[in-house]
Amino acid sequence: MNHMPMRIRSGVCLLALTLTVAGCAQRDENTIVVGLSADITTFEPGMISSRDNANIARHIFAGLFSLDADGQHVPDLAHTLELTDDGTGYVYTLREGLTCHDGEPLTAEDVAYTFNRIADPANRFTGNSPGFVFTSIGFQNAEALDDLRVQINIARKNPIAFGLITEIYVHCKDSYERMSLDEAASNPIGSGPYRLASWTRGSEVVLEKVKDRGNFQRIVWRIIPEASTRTAELVAGNVDIITNVVPEQIEAIEASGRAEVHAVSGTRRMYLGFNLSEASRQMPGGEAIQDPAVRRALQYAVDVPTICRQLLSVECQRATGPVNPPNANPNLTPYPFDPAMAERLLDEAGWERGDDGIRFSIRLQAGRGRYVNDVNVILAITQYLEDVGLDVELELLEWASVYTPLLRERSMGPLFFLGSGGGLWSPIYDMTDLADVDSGTNYTHWDDPRWFSRWAELSEAETAEERRPVIDEMLQVFYDDGPWLHLYFQPDFYGVSNRVDWEARRDERVYLFDARLRL
Amino acid sequence: MGAYVLRRLIQSVVVVIGVTLVSFLALQIGGDPTYLFVSERASLEEIEAARRALGFDRPLHVQYLSFVGDLVRGDFGQSLSYRQPAMGIVLEALPATIELTLFSMLMALSLAIPLGVLAAINRGTAWDGSVTTFAMLGQSIPNFWLGIMMILVFGLYLRWFPISGHVPFLTPLIAGDVGTAFGNLPRTLFHLVLPGLAVGTYSLARNTRLVRSSLLEVLEEDYVRTARSKGLPEKRVLFHHALRNAWLPVVTVIGLEFGFLLGGVVVVETVFSYPGIGRLLFAAINQRDIPLVQAGVILLAGIFIILNLLVDLIYVRLDPRMKLAGGRG
Repeated sequence: MNHMPMRIRSGVCLLALTLTVAGCAQRDENTIVVGLSADITTFEPGMISSRDNANIARHIFAGLFSLDADGQHVPDLAHTLELTDDGTGYVYTLREGLTCHDGEPLTAEDVAYTFNRIADPANRFTGNSPGFVFTSIGFQNAEALDDLRVQINIARKNPIAFGLITEIYVHCKDSYERMSLDEAASNPIGSGPYRLASWTRGSEVVLEKVKDRGNFQRIVWRIIPEASTRTAELVAGNVDIITNVVPEQIEAIEASGRAEVHAVSGTRRMYLGFNLSEASRQMPGGEAIQDPAVRRALQYAVDVPTICRQLLSVECQRATGPVNPPNANPNLTPYPFDPAMAERLLDEAGWERGDDGIRFSIRLQAGRGRYVNDVNVILAITQYLEDVGLDVELELLEWASVYTPLLRERSMGPLFFLGSGGGLWSPIYDMTDLADVDSGTNYTHWDDPRWFSRWAELSEAETAEERRPVIDEMLQVFYDDGPWLHLYFQPDFYGVSNRVDWEARRDERVYLFDARLRL
Repeated sequence: MGAYVLRRLIQSVVVVIGVTLVSFLALQIGGDPTYLFVSERASLEEIEAARRALGFDRPLHVQYLSFVGDLVRGDFGQSLSYRQPAMGIVLEALPATIELTLFSMLMALSLAIPLGVLAAINRGTAWDGSVTTFAMLGQSIPNFWLGIMMILVFGLYLRWFPISGHVPFLTPLIAGDVGTAFGNLPRTLFHLVLPGLAVGTYSLARNTRLVRSSLLEVLEEDYVRTARSKGLPEKRVLFHHALRNAWLPVVTVIGLEFGFLLGGVVVVETVFSYPGIGRLLFAAINQRDIPLVQAGVILLAGIFIILNLLVDLIYVRLDPRMKLAGGRG
């Protein structure tokens, strides 16, 4: 250094100083920072489909009602709902004095515009609202009855239409009529507590508080795809909340003294599906699983609690069917791990072990990298099935390009591993995966009339009390002879800094309205 | 030279078309991309409607020819995920990757040359052994692992550098906001150190070995011996005669390496949450956002072609013995 010319030495010192100053930024008390694992792609309300995207959007766009952490619908833009006599018209009354982020009053006309715009085929939207909600409820149209009352018309009575309608992001007519679709994708004009301040694609989204709700002036959503980087940012104190903590890093976070892990039993139902289609019957193992007795036997073969403890680092909430607790049938208990029982039932069903110790061969397909520790979970399940005499031909497939097409064509299996998103607000919502034999999410092709014939009763029932016994009977059938090997509700792990108070929800929704700094 | 450049540019159009065809087919091999753009609860009718809306219901050759037709008109299409012009999104991500690539290249070169020279002039000594060992390690260590280790050591434990993220310099500069650009510069550099090292270590190692071997070869040449026998000081022999000629293979590699680095920073961009073109394209491939992938591929192919051309031209300038094929040098 002594031989270094003065100019270079000065330059090095200046650089060191600027780097040091640049690295010493203080955390702002009015800002909360969340590290997400997946990038977001749009702020177009009609195109939003991923959970991360929806979580951010919900801070910008309010709904008519909203869903609280316990699965209860509470008033949001609207304060009351009345149904028309035939049960197909939903009349919402808005709160007075609502405004949009563009400063215009928010009226029933904006709400009607929102629904009709999303449904307009000319816009070619493919998000969750037109692609799932509207088709599920048979959306017809929306009309403003006056400044405060809007009527949403659906094709037929539907016991979960009210819950699904809350998913729609209400946006503001005047601004959206002025914008092209390109502009709308990055310039959301909503009516929620926050507005979009900036969006650096692939890097971060910054929201700025414009209404009373919420304790932080700014919310920064940083996109940090790599799990270990998210953990490092949390432990370093640069981020307050991270999603999708991987089980291997729980200990490191807990040991840091700077953050803790919130583990919640999520609403995603993890199961091993039995594909009962005719095409599947021709494949190895396809014939055996047609018999409900074989499916029931295999329920006893897998040690789910051990899988949860060893591979997911928690005691999972066990599943007895497709419905999330507390809405599940209270009389059902999870199948215990009892390999001897599994073997006895398989013997009784006529699938005794051969000379080579094998009862039958079966193909098991799974996508990789989608769910918490999925590859190890599926390897463990394979081993448990082999222990009771099955010869399992395991295929671990790339999720997006290989497994998803199989899934949508309903041609995986005969055994397949899957997690299906559920909710807390209605047992029927969780059951709609199998609302119809041919529904896109009945990946199993199960067609038991004791289940499918009861849907009409559910639709016609006027009250939750009338529906409950029907639901319980259906769930009993699903438990006894159903097409799923019930595993667990996927635990979700969030890393939360000691700096903030925030409670993780079970339904994968990251809402920060109630988050606050710790005193 | 003009004719040569023109001919190369015409050839490059064929290359670009070829690249788009290969990437289009590669994305189609994975099956129908429609499934990635619909809800997991979508019915068959909803999937069919989405397929029509996205244009995937058309035969493959019609989809491709329609894309090429639009391309000729300068329309790269709309990203399926972002619903915005695909090339605009790619260009938005490009400056960040250029910053990272330039930073890592400059860092690699500024260290590779002295290290290579040090090893060459001390051939067979501990210096040479240390540099060579370092170079071998640098070429062997996977950059994602190196990135994670650097995050742990320099980001988390020592807290010297940011763990992830990016502060733009080129983007405001291109937009004409010089004040913001230079105001950002210290933080830009600060955020570039770790990813730059992770990206550049391989290049540093390779160039160190290249400079060393090239210099060793040149030092054996007759003209170097002549220079020494004339009584020139060793420094002058080294820097004026030997190193100048040892540059040739290094220049070739550097030019091509910039192109490789541009397309090859995917993993490091992911590890450091760096919003560059590599990560964008990786996500687009996973999402099967064909227009976005095509726009990125075309842009990268174009940059690569231009860099190749520049390397050829510089090579001719540096080495008078070389001539451009069909040209007069």
